Amino acid sequence: MKKINIRQGKYAIALVCAVLGFMLATQFHTTQDVKATLALQRTENLAARLQETEKERDSLLQQIRDLREKSGEEAMQVELQNAMRDAGLTRLRGPGITLTIDDSKRPAKPGENSNLFVVHDDDILRIINELWAAGAEAIAINDQRIVAQTEVRCAGPTLVVNGSRYAPPFEIRAIGDKKTLESAVKMRGGIADSLAVWGIEVNVTPSDNIEIPAFRGAWRFNHSQVVGEDSR
Amino acid sequence: MIWAVLGVMVGLAVGIYWPVSVPMEYAKYMSVAVLACLDTVFGGLRAGLLHNFNNLVFISGFFTNALMAAVLVYIGERIGIDLYYVALLAFGLRIFNNLAVIRHHFLKK
Repeated sequence: MKKINIRQGKYAIALVCAVLGFMLATQFHTTQDVKATLALQRTENLAARLQETEKERDSLLQQIRDLREKSGEEAMQVELQNAMRDAGLTRLRGPGITLTIDDSKRPAKPGENSNLFVVHDDDILRIINELWAAGAEAIAINDQRIVAQTEVRCAGPTLVVNGSRYAPPFEIRAIGDKKTLESAVKMRGGIADSLAVWGIEVNVTPSDNIEIPAFRGAWRFNHSQVVGEDSR
Repeated sequence: MIWAVLGVMVGLAVGIYWPVSVPMEYAKYMSVAVLACLDTVFGGLRAGLLHNFNNLVFISGFFTNALMAAVLVYIGERIGIDLYYVALLAFGLRIFNNLAVIRHHFLKK
């Protein structure tokens, strides 16, 4: 075999060969990329869309934030939340007690007023008053939240709370310091004691998870008018 | 021949460690360019072996071939005819022709 010997133009050939090698490598890269692209096209597509959506979400969130800042909406929201909580328009949860009170099972002796053996509105009101005094933060009778305008009134054999009638037994739930609330009711000479005389049972169960519903009624303001906030 | 192999090596090394990638839509141009390059190399080797190598012919041939191939591909894409294959076929044929000549040259001895 003849010895391979190229004298002429070896540099030119080397140069073109280098270009060829470079092109081959590039083509190899490209092919790899295309393969990867085909295999991962859907994934990439989804990823791109996800990214786009996330970007959009972020921008929208930013927009919301900006608008809130502009209008002081955030402060208003916080204020509104607090006001709603204070007015009893939000559900609350926390430690507290569940108190059940039922009519007396003891038969009345002849000559005794049977009225004394049933639960009356003033009994409930006394309990509620005692609970408020003991630092209750929210109270509900059965499912009626006690708010500023709540009435507790006897209506025949039933009790009207927030316009809803309830028959005994009643369940009063209160959020607050459970020990204080419990002892406030069970205090010697307190409500539970005085009602026990008539056989009216008051059961108190402390719990760590008392849920108090929101006030669902409507406020009535037919006669009052709002006076400026300054006069507060 | 050593020079040619060395050149390919250098080119490959540069190409691999310099991750340039051609976009999808230019892949055709790239493949035609690669073929043009290959054709030129074989042409050059053949000319070198036959001792009628001309630098000017070699270099100008390289560029005109590559350019013409690119133009063909471009026009083909424009008018919807795969002229791309024409370039591929022409280069392929020439590569094999050149290869045959080189082979014969070696076998003649």
